[in-house]
Amino acid sequence: MTLDPDAMTRLLDITGGDQGFVDELIDTFLEDTTTQIVDLRSAAASGDTAAIVRPAHSLKSNAANVGATALGELARALEADGRAGEVPDAARRVANLEAEFDRVRDTLLAERAAR
Amino acid sequence: MNAARILVVDDTPFNRRLLVRLLEDIGHRTVEAENGRLALEALRADDAEPVDLILLDIEMPEMDGHETLAALKADEALRDIPVIVVTSVDELESVVRCIRTGAADYLPKSVDPEILRARVDASLTQKRLRDTERELSATIERQRSQLARFLSPQVAALVSSADGEALLAGHRREITAMFTDLRNFTSFSETAEPEEVLGFLRAYHAAMGELIVKHEATLEHFAGDGFMTFFNDPVLQPDHAARAIRLALAMRERFAVLSADWRRRGYVLEIGIGIATGYATLGRIGFEGRYDYGAIGNAIILASRLSGDAAAGEILVAARTYAEAEEASGTDLVAEPGGDRTLKGFSRAIPTYVITGRRAEAAGEQVAAEGAAT
Repeated sequence: MTLDPDAMTRLLDITGGDQGFVDELIDTFLEDTTTQIVDLRSAAASGDTAAIVRPAHSLKSNAANVGATALGELARALEADGRAGEVPDAARRVANLEAEFDRVRDTLLAERAAR
Repeated sequence: MNAARILVVDDTPFNRRLLVRLLEDIGHRTVEAENGRLALEALRADDAEPVDLILLDIEMPEMDGHETLAALKADEALRDIPVIVVTSVDELESVVRCIRTGAADYLPKSVDPEILRARVDASLTQKRLRDTERELSATIERQRSQLARFLSPQVAALVSSADGEALLAGHRREITAMFTDLRNFTSFSETAEPEEVLGFLRAYHAAMGELIVKHEATLEHFAGDGFMTFFNDPVLQPDHAARAIRLALAMRERFAVLSADWRRRGYVLEIGIGIATGYATLGRIGFEGRYDYGAIGNAIILASRLSGDAAAGEILVAARTYAEAEEASGTDLVAEPGGDRTLKGFSRAIPTYVITGRRAEAAGEQVAAEGAAT
């Protein structure tokens, strides 16, 4: 499952049903995550494991915010390995993460278009 | 709960926006910072509006939550702002560290508005209570120091102490009372110019007052040329008799300097001191609107009569006081029997001693100590 629908329901719920604000939050998520993926890609390419930790951490917490469970899990694993000092297969995992993010973005935007 | 100004520190725009929104929904004003360094900069800016609470993310670039918290707690001006750490569930270890560093509380990252409101309210209430407490103790301290200018320091401290009320209500205790007044003061005040009399009194009160404070005597009152002081109340002083005699000797010595000055101007003034030890009732004396901390008892009357009976420059003490002082301070006092005095209001004659000084070595120290104090 790309997106846990409960997360969206929850965001709407805690903002008093303010769909406009939730859409703004989603846009913020998309922009922010795009930046973090750029950072992750360059860290993976240069083999700088320590530089993986921070963007992976932010990405993980962002993913949890919108219910992107699988994306969050990929980021969590990268963060943990980055902290441990060894990130095996970094480039491929970042590419997987990017592909998962594309699915999340498409789903979010499709949902919005359908309203 | 009144609106507060809350600083949200988080590097993730999503989290910042959501927290800001939720806080504004419950009526608070917010400021944002992207990391700890920028947060500290904002808090320390010259034109910074005060912040009532900080919500702090842990994992941040440049300066993370731990460093920020440590910097806040090390800063005199910022350490009292409560900090709530906002964390994801897998950061519990960090939470423990933050609370040890001084965080007030923590919030899970997938924030629930009700929990947010409850924790924010609790931290703000705590801060307000602390602020009120600090204001109150500052007020009490201000009142105490104001009172101290009117009352004896011991009595001022007593009024603001926990057992003050009980002591003020009245109690019996053995004290040593001391009366100090001047010979020839009446004729001096009749012949000298009023300005001269006032000038003399100012110098006399300043000199004697300094010694009274230094020797930790309780000043009951002073009027014109006379001081009434006592020892062992409200602060307990087991060697109260010896203390009184030491104060009397210091007063006489200091007075000699003052009176030499006035003798040159043609006025002969001499001090006379009477000291007696005995039980007295102490506490609040007076009436609504004007109370004094006073002492009532035979020892006070006796000290007063002895001071009246003392010759110019003489320290006349009841035999009981001399015996107690000797016991307390060894045998460094030099005294002569003062005879049995028949005093007004006392049916039997009172055995007395005249204190002439302290033994050479001890007296030398005394002179040195008094010299250093001036």
